[in-house]
Amino acid sequence: MSTQAAFVADGLGKRYGAKWALRDCSLEIPRGSVAALVGPNGAGKTTLLHLAIGLSKPTTGDVQVLGRSPRDEAATVLPRVGFVAQDHPLYRALTVGETLRVGRKLNPSWTDDLAFQRLERLGIPLGQKVGTLSGGQQAQVALTLALAKQPELLLLDEPVASLDPLARREFLESVMEVVAERELTVVLSSHIVADLERVCDFLVILSQAQTQLVGPIEEVVSSHRLLTGPRTDPATVARIHRVIRESHTERQTTLLVQANGHVYDSCWELHEVDLEEIVLAYLGHRGERVAA
Amino acid sequence: MTWVALRLQRTETLITAAILALIAALLIPTGISMADAYSHDGLSACLALNPSAPCMNAIGDFQSRFQSLFNLTAWFTLIPGIVGVMLAAPFVVELESGTYRLAWTQSVTRRRWIATKLGVPIVTGLVLSGALILLFTWWRAPFVHLNGRMDATTFDSEGIVVIGYTLFAFGLALALGVVFRRAVIASTLAFIGYFVSRIFVDVWLSQRLVTPDHAAWKSNQPQPANLFHANLISQTGPGLVKGAVPGSAPFGANVHANVHVSGAVARAGQHLSNFTTHVVYQPPSHFWPLQLTETGLFAGIALVLIAFAAWWTHERVA
Repeated sequence: MSTQAAFVADGLGKRYGAKWALRDCSLEIPRGSVAALVGPNGAGKTTLLHLAIGLSKPTTGDVQVLGRSPRDEAATVLPRVGFVAQDHPLYRALTVGETLRVGRKLNPSWTDDLAFQRLERLGIPLGQKVGTLSGGQQAQVALTLALAKQPELLLLDEPVASLDPLARREFLESVMEVVAERELTVVLSSHIVADLERVCDFLVILSQAQTQLVGPIEEVVSSHRLLTGPRTDPATVARIHRVIRESHTERQTTLLVQANGHVYDSCWELHEVDLEEIVLAYLGHRGERVAA
Repeated sequence: MTWVALRLQRTETLITAAILALIAALLIPTGISMADAYSHDGLSACLALNPSAPCMNAIGDFQSRFQSLFNLTAWFTLIPGIVGVMLAAPFVVELESGTYRLAWTQSVTRRRWIATKLGVPIVTGLVLSGALILLFTWWRAPFVHLNGRMDATTFDSEGIVVIGYTLFAFGLALALGVVFRRAVIASTLAFIGYFVSRIFVDVWLSQRLVTPDHAAWKSNQPQPANLFHANLISQTGPGLVKGAVPGSAPFGANVHANVHVSGAVARAGQHLSNFTTHVVYQPPSHFWPLQLTETGLFAGIALVLIAFAAWWTHERVA
């Protein structure tokens, strides 16, 4: 396991009753990356993030965050990790100012300056009750709370799912600003691929409780190709490359492949594919997992 | 962390403090007038075993004057239940609303969070029940002089049992709350549970927590002196003329006396001297043993419930 990894899962699994929410998950997210955790609802994204922050205990395997176990070494892991849970829970009866005070009381590494400046820039009044803020403002308060403890790793669970398009863009811009300002690893989950493409440089695709693809987005995009050619059995191609999705018409075959080097066969016409299409292909794919 | 727990418990603290203030507003003026009446009528001089006729009249007057107020205070036995259930709510609300995910992902460990979130309401509950005990004890002092403190209404609000009741209600609401994660359901069920178990203990169990004393005497003999200020559990036979001795007619008292006067006794009025009166009772000397046992029972169950809630929250909530 690399010490450069901010997050390492090794054979990680979590079972609720008879159902596996996450199964045999092994992956590394390098430090400094902005990783997107993509998958449909119920794919295990929240479970993975809860295991990462120590809210849940693994059923099998091991998880390391910043080189430590989030559950057994909570006292050393928690101050270094910022977390915004799904639907950004906050104390609705507290004012924004009191919410910041909660953050200050509960975090030794808290920085008031960062918190106050951020909220002032966003125009969120300190005297207002959190429950009366808009969804976007609440998400920003939750993010501020997570950032003001000056984390090395920031985990965001579906941070924009409940926001309208404008608030969604503002929130993601905030995340990008923070990443530009300082050394920070971010893992954010979403089922909306288009949002993540602008922000993230690392991709984890989760589906049916298992990781389908893990790797830097640039490599993911450059290694996947769409092949079109006369109708044929894809077995020849599958010997060298990994076929993610195949579709056939009467005269034509279209394959989305993860190419192992160049595709030399001249009977295929090669097209580049965008990230969204790759993600969709994997989400429909039922094969074994691969690393890009 | 303590500030956070106190801040998130503010509403409940204010409500319980307001209830306490209301009770104080009722008890302090009436307590003053009662204490005045007691000293004005010179009732303390009437506490001899066989008081004189004017004394009996003065005691009777005093008792009939404040009887309804005294009866009203029997309802105050619900207050520890309300306080305990209320103080458990902030913990349960945190699980219900999902804000524990915010709290547990700050820099404090789950263990410390649980300890503080339980410690703060427990200390609040102890302070409030202590204040209740002081208030009741001061208010009831004249009655206690006249009738002792072994009757259920007085017994349940003096000494230390109130602390046990408060902790029990708190523990019950907490244990139900962490399992159901619904504050309203947990509070309602816990209050019902509190009420039912208090009735069970008052009516049946509490008399058995410390072995009661027995006494027997012939009708032509005087009643034994240690029945003074005792709580009568059961009686057979014709004796114990109510009102003859202050303690024998527990004023406002919850005496579960099963008076079985046999038909033979009723018919043979002139031969009463041949019959024996048997009584089972808790003498005043049993006050503290009973208090300690009952408090220990309720506080012990409360500790088990609180420990269960802490364990459940630590291990089962994610």
